Formats: sequence, structure tokens, C-alpha cells
Amino acid sequence: MIAQLILTGLLGGILLYAWGQYRRAPVIGLVSMLAALTGLYFVWFPAQASRLAALVGIGRGVDLILYVWVVISLIVLLNLHLKLRAQMELITVLARQLALANASSQSTRT
Amino acid sequence: MIGRVIADVRRRGFSAVLVDDGSADATPEIAERAGAVVVRHPVNLGQGAALQTGIEFGLRNGAEFVVTFDADGQHRAAEIETLIDALTESRSDFALGSRFLGATVNLPLSRRLLLKAATWFTRVTSGLRVTDAHNGFRAMTRRGASRIRLRQNRMAHASEFLEQIARSGLPYVEAPVTIEYSEYSLAKGQKLSDALSILLDLSVQRLQR
Repeated sequence: MIAQLILTGLLGGILLYAWGQYRRAPVIGLVSMLAALTGLYFVWFPAQASRLAALVGIGRGVDLILYVWVVISLIVLLNLHLKLRAQMELITVLARQLALANASSQSTRT
Repeated sequence: MIGRVIADVRRRGFSAVLVDDGSADATPEIAERAGAVVVRHPVNLGQGAALQTGIEFGLRNGAEFVVTFDADGQHRAAEIETLIDALTESRSDFALGSRFLGATVNLPLSRRLLLKAATWFTRVTSGLRVTDAHNGFRAMTRRGASRIRLRQNRMAHASEFLEQIARSGLPYVEAPVTIEYSEYSLAKGQKLSDALSILLDLSVQRLQR
């Protein structure tokens, strides 16, 4: 029961994070939410996880949940990468404006 | 090399803009002495970012046409007129240089195959009927240039450029150009590993708004 509560808390946190990201990166947000909801379902209905795991040939239900967790982590990593790219775009715009302003002030002086 | 390239362009009566993308050597000084206007990025941003900066500089300074031209000596300044003539004669907004309609000198077979694969990929993804997808030698009208907003700072800008041409709906034309490969330009050119990172960059960009 304790483990279920802790996992619910963690997955709930991921769900909120994914909801917050939905507007910025819809695909990432949606996939993260789906993965977190699937994880929550399996935490509370482990027998279903075991049945599904046996169906797809994984073995134990707990392994399936672990895999879901890994997938969520990878998606969060991808989202982080997208954020870094967005920041790089902002830096590029700033650097470009600086370069163009310096070039025009130089050509005014000469 | 850079001094010779810029002197060639200037001799033909065109303005030359060099975007210094954080060079550690004397490239900007040499370019300036050869007659180029040098726009300096405060930090290294990448080839795509430099290209966009050059285009914006041209637009801000009233350029009627903007031509992108590699500084490694593989393009011929004499063919700038070929591209501009193609623009005006066909009333297009973009004239794309094609080495496969024109000629190549010292193009290795592996590079030829890589370029053919890139062209096929571009035709499928952008719908543009082009024969050469990764040719940095192109000309555009002021209207065409104002529709280009490159966000790919690194190597993927060539594919992004064509995607934006397709999205703009403006007319384009291909014109034959000569690309001359030397040891110097081959060392600076794209490799198979670059092609993979280009594909990755283009895929990741589709996940962003």
C-alpha cells in the first residue's frame, strides 16, 4: 500500500507536469499524460498489469510498470532537449540582433 | 581562400557580406580588406544562423536580390549573374543552383550518392521538383528573402530552406551552376554522419511548435 501511494504521488506529479507541457509541446504532453495514466492504472490494478505483461511476453507486471517508468523518463528527457533548443533559438535571435546593430552602427561611422 | 572569393564577387560589381560566426583566425580582417561588409556574431551559432543573419542584413540594407554563396571556393562568382538572370527571366522569387543541371569538378562518388539521396528525401518531404537539394548557391528576390526564417542553426538549414520555399508558395526555378571540389572544400563539406544528425534535427523540429 505504501509503495502504491508513493508511486501514485510520483505519477501524479508527472501527470501535472505533462499537463503543463501540453500547450508548449502537444505531442510530448499527450504521450506523457497517456504513459502516466497507464502507470497509475497498473499501480492500482497490478493483476491487470500481470495479465497484460503475460500477454505481451514480458513476464511480471512489475516489470511492465518499470518499463512504463523508463518510457516516461525518456519522454521527459526529450522534452528537456526541446526546451534547450527553444532557448538556443532565443539566444540566436538576441545574438543576431546584436550583430546586425553593431554592423549598422559601424557602417554609419565609416 | 576567403580573400580571393570576396575579391571575385566584388570585381563583378556585387556587394559582399561575410558573417563571422565566431572565427578564431584572421578571416574577418581578410574579408574586410577584400571589400566585404563583416557582420560579427558575438558567439558561434552555426552555418544556418549565419545564413539567416546575412539574409536579414541584406534586407535591412535595401538589397534587391540576395545571393547565398559559400566562402570555401567551390562556387564561381561568374555564375551569380546566371542565377539572377534565371530569377528575372522566369519571374521567380528563388533561383536554386543545381550542380546536376550544371557541372561538378572532382566530386567523389560517395558524395554524389549522398547528395542524390538527400535530393530524393527533399523531393518527398517538400514536394519541390529539384535536382539538387543541398546546394548553398542560390539567389532570391527581396520578396523571397523576406519569407525565409531559418531556425535550424546547424547543417539542417538546407532542407529547412527548401521546406520554407515550398510553404511560401512563391515561384522557384533551378539554374545550372558549377561546383568545384577541392581538398579544402571536401574537408568542410557534409558527411554521412552529418546526414544522420540533419535527419534527427529535422525530426525534432517537427515536435516543436
